[in-house]
Amino acid sequence: MSETVIRTHGLTKEFVRDEFHVVALKDAEMEVQRGEFVELMGPSGSGKSTLLHLVAAMDRPTRGELEVMGFKLNGLSDSEIAKWRNRHVGFVFQSFNLIPVLTALENVELPLKLTHLKRGERVQHAATALKLVGLEDRMGHYPRQLSGGQEQRVAIARAIVTDPDLLLCDEPTGNLDAKSAQEVLTLLGRLNKEYGKTIVMVTHDPHAAHYATKIRYIDKGELLPDGGKPEDWN
Amino acid sequence: MKYLPLIVKNCLRNRRRSVLTIASLAISLCLLGVMMALYYALFIGGQPAKAQARRVVVRHKVSIVFPMPLYYREKIAQVPGVEEVMVWQWFGGVYKDSRDQRNFFARLGVEADKLFKVYQDYQLPDEQKKAFIQDPAGCVVNKALAERHGFKVGDKILIKGDIFPFDLDLTVRGIYTSSDFDDDSLWFNFKYLENALRNSSRLSAGTFTILAKTPEDVPSICRTVDEMFANSTAPTKTESEYAFGLSFLSFLGNIKVILMSICGAVTFTILLISANTMAMSVRERVREVGVLRTLGFQKSTILWLILAESALISLVGGALGVLIAQGLCAAIRQGPAILQQTKTLTIEGPVFAALVGISMLIGVLSAIVPAWSASRENIIDALRFTD
Repeated sequence: MSETVIRTHGLTKEFVRDEFHVVALKDAEMEVQRGEFVELMGPSGSGKSTLLHLVAAMDRPTRGELEVMGFKLNGLSDSEIAKWRNRHVGFVFQSFNLIPVLTALENVELPLKLTHLKRGERVQHAATALKLVGLEDRMGHYPRQLSGGQEQRVAIARAIVTDPDLLLCDEPTGNLDAKSAQEVLTLLGRLNKEYGKTIVMVTHDPHAAHYATKIRYIDKGELLPDGGKPEDWN
Repeated sequence: MKYLPLIVKNCLRNRRRSVLTIASLAISLCLLGVMMALYYALFIGGQPAKAQARRVVVRHKVSIVFPMPLYYREKIAQVPGVEEVMVWQWFGGVYKDSRDQRNFFARLGVEADKLFKVYQDYQLPDEQKKAFIQDPAGCVVNKALAERHGFKVGDKILIKGDIFPFDLDLTVRGIYTSSDFDDDSLWFNFKYLENALRNSSRLSAGTFTILAKTPEDVPSICRTVDEMFANSTAPTKTESEYAFGLSFLSFLGNIKVILMSICGAVTFTILLISANTMAMSVRERVREVGVLRTLGFQKSTILWLILAESALISLVGGALGVLIAQGLCAAIRQGPAILQQTKTLTIEGPVFAALVGISMLIGVLSAIVPAWSASRENIIDALRFTD
């Protein structure tokens, strides 16, 4: 029996920027089941990242319902959301966003500092995560000493080190060359298939479709129904 | 403690900036430390030297430049608690070339037979004491002064008179040291003044130095002496020798206000420097704050991390500043005895604690605004932030 990990109903995000009223996301309806690998595709500015940010509770919706991992996020305080995000969600950015003064191991250990694990346990977990992404020989390297692909793999290790149920990836291959992008997609595919992680990934990368179990399109702030695709989409 | 490595690494993120900030903090806190040490020594924690605790000085109530009649000596001697009274007269005068500051030292006429009773901390051989007491033109000098000018027992010293209409032609009869405060002084026999000013109205006392029987007698002696001469033509102001020494500071103005003003200005300047550095440092990391928030860090944790980083930089600067200030205090102790308090100047415990507290406070205050703003930044805006 499948379990719904993400459920949105009428999810809308509006904001005012430079006196312009912008509807970034309008009445989005989405359900993601445990173990799915969902791709969100659409042109730039269509609202893909906005939806991902709302699901990660990095932003608050203007209206609509949002339930992730059984938590109704609208009702949680900032403090509760921070704890929830640390326990249940791993986030991968397009531009890696590693802390430059920390080594790969220290970057991966960072989310574990919010747990009750002792230092030895934290280091062990971080080392395991780095090993999983194939960087066991780069633990002491600083971000500036790593390639883009390696940096993104460290970022993925940081996202999975707390063993979250949900991985949210915002164009994780956007800043990578084709080979590194392939490696990252393969890694995400493994995490989905072998470790059962539910993944929602915003991407423009056509190769990503091989790994996804479902593709959803967004156009001009509207999340198209399952199977729907913009007419002018290539 | 688990965040300490992160805090330290953030401090070292821009090493040149951190080193320069620490250096500016160290120099400023060093200056602040010396000022506070001086303030503490002068007005709070300063204690009279052991031998000084029983000494009381009587001067004219209006100013030390006004003389008092010599007969006050006998009246003062009758006051309960007084063990000894000694006349003390400032001669002034010029030794060699007055333009050379090294030639300036106190030249004081005192009753030779009483000097070593009142100043029991002065140490010199008995034969030198006797020679001084017996010679109306004799004088004694302290060891530091003797070494500076090469004075030896038997040497002649000529002091040209300026306040008094005659010169002093003195013979060094002794060289003393003091176990307490060893200031640069030349004491000559008061008989020299008596002989030179015989039958002159100028033969008077500049001050009287009293030796009390016990330190506890000092307050009552002060009160009684001043009451005794309250309605005379030369009313007195009587105070402990320690307080008398401090009263010279008032010639320079309101030292308390001056020192406090300097301390305030220094603290405010450090605060601005530190605030500017922290604002730059935090601004460079707004995006990282967004990342930390995404990982689940609470706003309060981020605020605390930035404040701790600032406080750590400030504390290191403060610790260096205290070390340098302690070195400066040691140098001041070795220098000329401007004041008794400067001979024992040091960073006392309360001053050290205050400096540590000020360092911490500067660290926290300078970072509070940028840290608060960064921790409250919307995650999406923080992640989009480009410097």
